[in-house]
Amino acid sequence: MKAWLHSVRVLIWKDLLQEWRSRDILTSMLAFAVLSLFIFNYALELSPINRADIAPGIVWVVMVFAGTLGLNRSFTAEQDQGCFEGLIMAVPDLSAIYFAKLLTNLLMMVFLAVLVIPIYSVLYNQSLFNWAFFGVLALGSWGYSAAGTLIASMTVQTRMRDLLLPVLLFPLLLPVNMAVVKSCGVLLGSVAGQDINGWLNLLLVYDIIVTMLSIMVFEYVIQE
Amino acid sequence: MTLQARQISKAYGAQRVLDRLDLSVDAGELVCLLGPNGAGKTTLIRTLSGLQKPDSGEVLWGSESEGIGALKLRRSIGLILHQPFLYEHLTGFENLRFYSRLYETGLGDADLRKMLGRVGLGSARPIPVRGYSRGMKQRLTIARALLCDPRILLFDEPYTGLDQQGCGMLNQLVLEESARNKLVLLTTHELSYIRQVATRFDVLHRGKIAASIPNAGISLDSLQEQYSAVIAAGKAARKEQA
Repeated sequence: MKAWLHSVRVLIWKDLLQEWRSRDILTSMLAFAVLSLFIFNYALELSPINRADIAPGIVWVVMVFAGTLGLNRSFTAEQDQGCFEGLIMAVPDLSAIYFAKLLTNLLMMVFLAVLVIPIYSVLYNQSLFNWAFFGVLALGSWGYSAAGTLIASMTVQTRMRDLLLPVLLFPLLLPVNMAVVKSCGVLLGSVAGQDINGWLNLLLVYDIIVTMLSIMVFEYVIQE
Repeated sequence: MTLQARQISKAYGAQRVLDRLDLSVDAGELVCLLGPNGAGKTTLIRTLSGLQKPDSGEVLWGSESEGIGALKLRRSIGLILHQPFLYEHLTGFENLRFYSRLYETGLGDADLRKMLGRVGLGSARPIPVRGYSRGMKQRLTIARALLCDPRILLFDEPYTGLDQQGCGMLNQLVLEESARNKLVLLTTHELSYIRQVATRFDVLHRGKIAASIPNAGISLDSLQEQYSAVIAAGKAARKEQA
């Protein structure tokens, strides 16, 4: 277990250092997120009354689409330079590779949320500075990263990876999307009469199940 | 320590690449695997490294109780394949430090710089690997493969991209490792270089080790002659069968 945790830590350090050097993923994700927020801002006629109804949907959709750009690139270094084979020879268990990528992708999504929330708040004149709101986005990001990392590890081995990733991933994200948007809606007061606990439980259960299943099947995905 | 392949077969679809192949390499031996393009050298190296399983037969690393699933065994193999396993946005030193930490070698920065010096990259500028030439990447790949002080060295075409100095450096390194009782198996088409260091040449043809040529001061001409004769005999036998 100690060796596994050590491998995860080293792999995350490598991914973050690589991203710091290249800024490939964050730049594209942030540019896409900001542009999308601008487009939604002038495309939707929002009155002060319906802003709260629509905020969770806009924020989450922007995060999901922007996150897909990052997921698409998360395994390219391993695939293009054959690094998967180097890692396979060194890690105690292949799940360490998956878990490190999951955490890196989660960090990217959390970082994205940290930037999207203030930009949205300024552009739409509605404060989203709410720890609970951020917490739900982080929980949603976990589920998104757990499923996305697994699917990205499959699609990176195909020629049509840019197309295949969203096609395979988005249907799997249906429970996360519903749970995040509804929970955030309750928190912002736009969804009345609903219990947030049910949605949060769904989110938490989804996150745990998808993470566990992905850890179990990742080995087969890589070796096939 | 002995690396053994027993009756291993591997096919890609209808194409049989390895056909009940037997091979044995002892510690301290420096064996060169020769063969024409497509003979299955890379497939054999990948199978011996445990990266892919044979369709039938078995590979034994040392004692029979050791399986490739064991971390200790996997970490005792220094592997070079066609791709360098390097991260392009990291510098050469950072790549080595990453793999060193992943392998838990306990090497410090000074040791890693010494390793870079050993492969002739000691004075290389600290630029990302994407700015390296093909030869520099290959030198770094060799350093990466030797980082974990492996007992088994499996090198597939290690001379690729190296200049004359680089080939000499590689020869020196494999000789040193072999002298330390390491098991070295490599593939190459550079007969002039490998002739200087190999203890034995195994010729892979039609999925089998078709001949084993000991290197008792063999000349380059004689080696090329014997190698060509083995390949020609294989082709003739194939024609007869057809």
